[in-house]
Amino acid sequence: MSVLYILVLASIAVAAFFLAAYVWSVRNDQFEDNKGAALRMLQDDEPTKQ
Amino acid sequence: MPITDTERKTIIIRKEEKDHNCYHCGTPCITNSIAIDDKLFCCEGCKLVFEILNENGLCDYYKLQSHPGLSQIKPTRNDKYAYLDNEAIASKLYSFTDGNNTVVTFYIPGVHCASCMWLLEHMHKLNEGIVESRLNFTSKEVTIRYSQNKISTRQVVELLTTIGYEPYISLDDAERKLSRNYNKQRIYKLGVAGFCFGNIMLMSFPEYLSTDLGIEHQYAFLFRILNLVLALPVFFYSASEFFASAWAGLKQKILNIDAPIVLALIITFSRSIYEIATNTGSGYLDSMTGIVFFMLIGRIVQERTYQSISFHRDYKSYFPIAVNVVTPTGIETRNLQDLKERDIVEVYNEELIPADAIIIKGTGRVDYSFVTGESEPVTIETGKMLYAGGRQKGEKLVVQVLKPVAASYLTSLWNHNAFTKDKADNNNRDSIIHKLSKYFTVILMGMAAVTAVYWAINDPAKILPSVSAMLIVACPCALLLAATYTNGNLLRILSDNGLYLRDATVIEQLGNIDHIVFDKTGTLTQDSNRYSFKGHQLSVEEKGWVYNIAAHSSHPYSKALVNALGIYPASGADGWEEIAGKGVKGRVGANSIWVGSKAFVGIDDMPDGQPAAYIRINEEVTAFYITPVFRESIPQMVPLLAQDYELSLLSGDNNRQEKTLQELFGRKSVLLFEQKPLDKLTYIEHLQQANHKVLMVGDGLNDAGALQQSNVGITLADDINNFTPSCDAILDAGQFGKLPSLLKLARSGRYIIYFSFIISILYNLVGLGISMTGNMSPMIAAILMPLSTLTIVLVTTGAGSLMGLRAGLSLKSK
Amino acid sequence: MDNTLQTEKFYYDNKIVKWFAYATILWGLVGMLVGLLAALQLVFPVLNLNTAATSFGRVRPVHTNAVIFAFVGNGIFMGVYYSLQRLCKARMFSDALSKLHFWGWQLIIVCAAVSLLAGYTTGKEYAELEWPIDILITLVWVTFGINMFGTIIKRRERHLYVAIWFYIATFVTVAMLHIVNSWEIPFTWMKSYSWYAGVQDALVQWWYGHNAVAFFLTTPYLGVMYYFLPKIANRPVYSYRLSIIHFWALIFLYIWAGPHHLLYTALPDWAQSLGTVFSVMLIAPSWGGMLNGLLTLRGAWDKVREDPVLKFIVVAVTAYGMATFEGPMLSLKNVNAISHFTDWTIAHVHVGALGWNGFLTFGVLYWLIPRIFKTNLFSQKLANWHFWIGTLGIVFYAVPMYWAGFMQSLAWKEFTPEGQLKYQFLETVTQMRPFYMMRSIGGTLYLLGAIMMTYNLIKTIRAGKAVNDEAAEAAPLAKTYVEHSGSHWHRWIERRPMQMMVLSLIVVGIGGLIEIVPTFLVKSNIPTISSVKPYTPLELQGRDIYVREGCYTCHSQMVRPFRSEVARYGEYSKAGEFVYDHPFQWGSKRTGPDLARIGGKYPNSWHFNHMYEPSSMSPGSIMPSYPWLFENDIDTAVMGAKIRAMQTLGVPYPEGFDKVANVELMKQAESIKQNLAGDKIEIKSNREIIALIAYLQRMGTDIKLEQKATTASNN
Repeated sequence: MSVLYILVLASIAVAAFFLAAYVWSVRNDQFEDNKGAALRMLQDDEPTKQ
Repeated sequence: MPITDTERKTIIIRKEEKDHNCYHCGTPCITNSIAIDDKLFCCEGCKLVFEILNENGLCDYYKLQSHPGLSQIKPTRNDKYAYLDNEAIASKLYSFTDGNNTVVTFYIPGVHCASCMWLLEHMHKLNEGIVESRLNFTSKEVTIRYSQNKISTRQVVELLTTIGYEPYISLDDAERKLSRNYNKQRIYKLGVAGFCFGNIMLMSFPEYLSTDLGIEHQYAFLFRILNLVLALPVFFYSASEFFASAWAGLKQKILNIDAPIVLALIITFSRSIYEIATNTGSGYLDSMTGIVFFMLIGRIVQERTYQSISFHRDYKSYFPIAVNVVTPTGIETRNLQDLKERDIVEVYNEELIPADAIIIKGTGRVDYSFVTGESEPVTIETGKMLYAGGRQKGEKLVVQVLKPVAASYLTSLWNHNAFTKDKADNNNRDSIIHKLSKYFTVILMGMAAVTAVYWAINDPAKILPSVSAMLIVACPCALLLAATYTNGNLLRILSDNGLYLRDATVIEQLGNIDHIVFDKTGTLTQDSNRYSFKGHQLSVEEKGWVYNIAAHSSHPYSKALVNALGIYPASGADGWEEIAGKGVKGRVGANSIWVGSKAFVGIDDMPDGQPAAYIRINEEVTAFYITPVFRESIPQMVPLLAQDYELSLLSGDNNRQEKTLQELFGRKSVLLFEQKPLDKLTYIEHLQQANHKVLMVGDGLNDAGALQQSNVGITLADDINNFTPSCDAILDAGQFGKLPSLLKLARSGRYIIYFSFIISILYNLVGLGISMTGNMSPMIAAILMPLSTLTIVLVTTGAGSLMGLRAGLSLKSK
Repeated sequence: MDNTLQTEKFYYDNKIVKWFAYATILWGLVGMLVGLLAALQLVFPVLNLNTAATSFGRVRPVHTNAVIFAFVGNGIFMGVYYSLQRLCKARMFSDALSKLHFWGWQLIIVCAAVSLLAGYTTGKEYAELEWPIDILITLVWVTFGINMFGTIIKRRERHLYVAIWFYIATFVTVAMLHIVNSWEIPFTWMKSYSWYAGVQDALVQWWYGHNAVAFFLTTPYLGVMYYFLPKIANRPVYSYRLSIIHFWALIFLYIWAGPHHLLYTALPDWAQSLGTVFSVMLIAPSWGGMLNGLLTLRGAWDKVREDPVLKFIVVAVTAYGMATFEGPMLSLKNVNAISHFTDWTIAHVHVGALGWNGFLTFGVLYWLIPRIFKTNLFSQKLANWHFWIGTLGIVFYAVPMYWAGFMQSLAWKEFTPEGQLKYQFLETVTQMRPFYMMRSIGGTLYLLGAIMMTYNLIKTIRAGKAVNDEAAEAAPLAKTYVEHSGSHWHRWIERRPMQMMVLSLIVVGIGGLIEIVPTFLVKSNIPTISSVKPYTPLELQGRDIYVREGCYTCHSQMVRPFRSEVARYGEYSKAGEFVYDHPFQWGSKRTGPDLARIGGKYPNSWHFNHMYEPSSMSPGSIMPSYPWLFENDIDTAVMGAKIRAMQTLGVPYPEGFDKVANVELMKQAESIKQNLAGDKIEIKSNREIIALIAYLQRMGTDIKLEQKATTASNN
């Protein structure tokens, strides 16, 4: 029955880590600006010539 | 090769379209004289922005989007931001500073396209003191990191202003912060619910998939315990707002919208615990977490839609952050909150009167539209009282504060009346959802009682299982979901099409409307009128003189005249004088100039029509005509509306255009002219007394009272971020023509809700039928509940979108 | 005071991108060419050339590995190295690691090709590489991971664009899949046995196999799509929010879909159903992704008409949509009953491979190479031609294969009114040859297009000059960006993408665990059959030859519980029959008939002649000849090691059996030799063919013993 323990541990870990990532993303404002993120990746620019 | 062909084609098109629009902002240029190379500009301001960007190699700005800029025609006062030199005030804006490295976030209303983003994120190229600037495109907030040793906060703001992105700094900026965190709470809750729901579903699958439990029987218990553990955070954390709301309702002895759902949650949860504990079943945790998850999504969808619009700004976002206080040692800037009684304050043209005060010097021409809805500026002489919230339109005033800001008339007005709170509450109470859910709860309880009695007689062991199964199955979630998703989706579609509602209850109100009242000036007509002159032809030099005389007056006709003339260099006008209701006069050099009414200008005959004003330069007279131009969409839209609604027009103007308008509105409609704001309000009151549901469409400021009185007040706004305290909805002026479609969609909202309610009743009948007989297996419940939820979600969003399409609306934001 | 807050100047590493691009083109051509050879071998068996290294069973794994890991693999790295740097506004973490990664990967490819042709294979589809290469793959993959996460950590752009999430998921999942599925026990420096046996091995293998499709052919390419499609079209992705939902839904669901490859097999029912449920649920995120891609181009269709690059991408995304719609359909039990083991599956994967992976790669190459070389594409016209020829190639490939698959399956299942099977298996094979020919034409067209592209790109490269280090500038991320109120615990995880790695690993891991562990660890999942005994040493040797020659590429060992299959092959397969199969050899395609019950069906001499010249026993057979089996000696030197390895894996050979195994082997070989001699066939008893015959004759016979036993006891 050792499977059960593996499952329990893994499930709890998943839930915990998923929440951690979610909390991280939200706190880090990763999802704050969806329009901006999509626009920003289009803008590669060359540095100022010196 | 095909590519070069297209390139050639585009080049040709480019050449042809070499327009007379400003290279920077796209406004049609009045004069061709402001230009660099072949690039025309509408004003010196736009040209200046171009020059700055050009110097700093930032002309990619114009490549990402053509005419990305905002018109710079309205100049900003030089020392407008002097108060930011006062560190105590400026520091209120910082989100971080170590004395040198500083981070500050500004709201930039003008942000609208990829070019804006690009330029605002390249601020470091304009000034080496700026390290990084980052724009949140959704909230239009730019966060700037800069070194105070190299650039001051005031310079940062002025730099933003110079490149055409003037930040909007208000008292609110100094005080917000907390609001953000509140929004995040619900998102965290959704996350918790989502993950727990997902995992519970996963663990439930083996049980759904094998009817006799078969091989995974040995895991079944483990899966159940895990499900229970996963359900805990959903029940206690994610669902907390439903509990809070239901409890708040109960305390006021009201069975509100959340009460039945809380009941269902509690029963579901406790029965699940019971089943798992006694190893008799797996409970209904999948359904419970699912409901919470979907409810939260629905609410977030609703909330998101009008989040970015400025309904919820209170008066603080209208007030400046700092004022100029006159002290014995000179002028000093001071925080608005630190303003004390007896302080002497300077108020410039177009600035807000920050507190109730007495004029010490200067004549007030105060626009109280924000407070009273009356847009005609009031003249207030020295020594008289001013109320906070008015806007000075004219010369600089020096005033003495009577009451601190917190005690002023406007603040107390806001705090007491809170402008719209009652209306929203009333709407809520009238809502069909509330009515339906009330009956629903009562009927359900009745049925539960009957079932309980029946089993008590026949088989008492079945009382608990059958009654609890009933309550679980009949959970009103479908009903609630129907409302949240229908409204959420409608809100989204409406706002994608330019109609921003204060909240979901307005949809229902909009659907009930039977009478529409229009304001004329600024609503049916555009700000840009057609202008014409007759009589003496003004030379360029003369136009300059007239410009200098008229520019000082804030009378609408003077403003129109200035618009018609174009922009001219400022030159001193001697003896400038404005006689209220008559006109303005003054001298430029040796020339006397009058602008005003016939009598004022002093002539007796000038032929045809009704000129708005007369211009007299020495002895030469010119008539100035303003022909109001209807918005493009009006001729099609109004007759369309007239088919379904009674219409009225309330105009503040004279009846010059009555004939045209009557044709447009049809004979049945009432057209009233020369209406004062109070008249409009009374008219709407009369309509309501005659049991009409009135929609008022106005332009916000001068119709505030009427908008407030109407059942739904829509403000037509060219800039949707304008402060509009008393309306229920803001309609993007560019989308005015869609009004009939938008109303149609709002009307269909209730049918969608009814329809999905019927569906959920059908589900409930099936489910209840089975559970009353005491035969509800977890399998059937597990299938029935997500299925009904899913159907409701699909039906509501699908039907909403379909209705939107059929009404000719676009389903995707621009 | 912190004075480091200044804009930094840095350079993007284009050189590594360039190298990966070159490798993509090179291996693409090689892989397609090998594929064409394999396709033609099915029409003209003579092309097997009667040598071991060029026979279909060895060429086909070279084709699949080359196309998946060499062509698409290098394509992934090209896309990742280009886009990750730009999305992070940072050069790759370490140039040395980049180089190590590049050369390491090419080394793996060369080793793979050589070892596969030499017959070193684990016998598990798409994971055929032997253990030393598996270790090398692990090391190179970790190198890639360090390089990627290092770049993410030192990034100058706060937001992690959705493409990066896809890359992270790819890295983590592939690492875990590879390690779990490659768990094997080596017994020589190039050979090993799979750690798992039978049903478990099948489950692990298809969990891997399916997810290799998901996380090697799909997620990284979705990341590439989400970066390059908006870039090329120069418009933001239709809905960024949808792309984020797409990501999470996909990573969560894909892991569970593996068992749909094993429908109607000996896998437990509920695990099969789980696979079907999740496969069907996958349509939603997949189509969300496809629509998101296509809708990005809304209002830009005029551009698509002009620009071959966009055309490639549009077809690629459409192919993704078709394949991800078809996939769930194929995992429905009743559809699978028809499609499985036929060329339908081949058509399905090629729509994905040629359309989605191939065309997306071509599109990116056409866009990328001119950018890196600061020049224009040599010929738009040629690229347009490539597009049309390539598209035609896909159509010519897929349509005959769909048709063939459907026809063949119906033929297999058709009974005469008398209740006899209507067609001999061989008849259904010979009917396939025209379809196989058409497929080869499609493949040729596709390859032709790729050659045109190569020419076009070489000309482009010649005309330009590579910008190996592309200058860029950005401000570093500030440490104190936002003043957080309240607790500080989250600072610990802030800016730590490593946690994402751990996280994804666990998410993906749980998917695997829930499916695998129960079957694996709980005996009750495998009804043990007492009559099933371990293979004899000679049979074991024969089995290893079966694996070495890639027999599983054409023959299944799994009789499904259908009337037609039971009538054709015999009693359907039971889970308990495979408990000593390391690795399992169920196969996924029946170009030839199922072999699960082949034992005892034909005399030894039949097998002998058939292996020497198949058409002599089955006229019209497209099976290659195996003349080398008649000359090579059985490798008895490793017999002991093999037995010991098997004992470690729990196969109940008696203690010390490794020492006497060869004696047993010779005894059995001698008896087969005698039996053949009875049919006037002379062969030395230590030839490989003897071992193979022993294995073939053993297959599926254990259960017959059981039946006999039960019948006996009943009497």
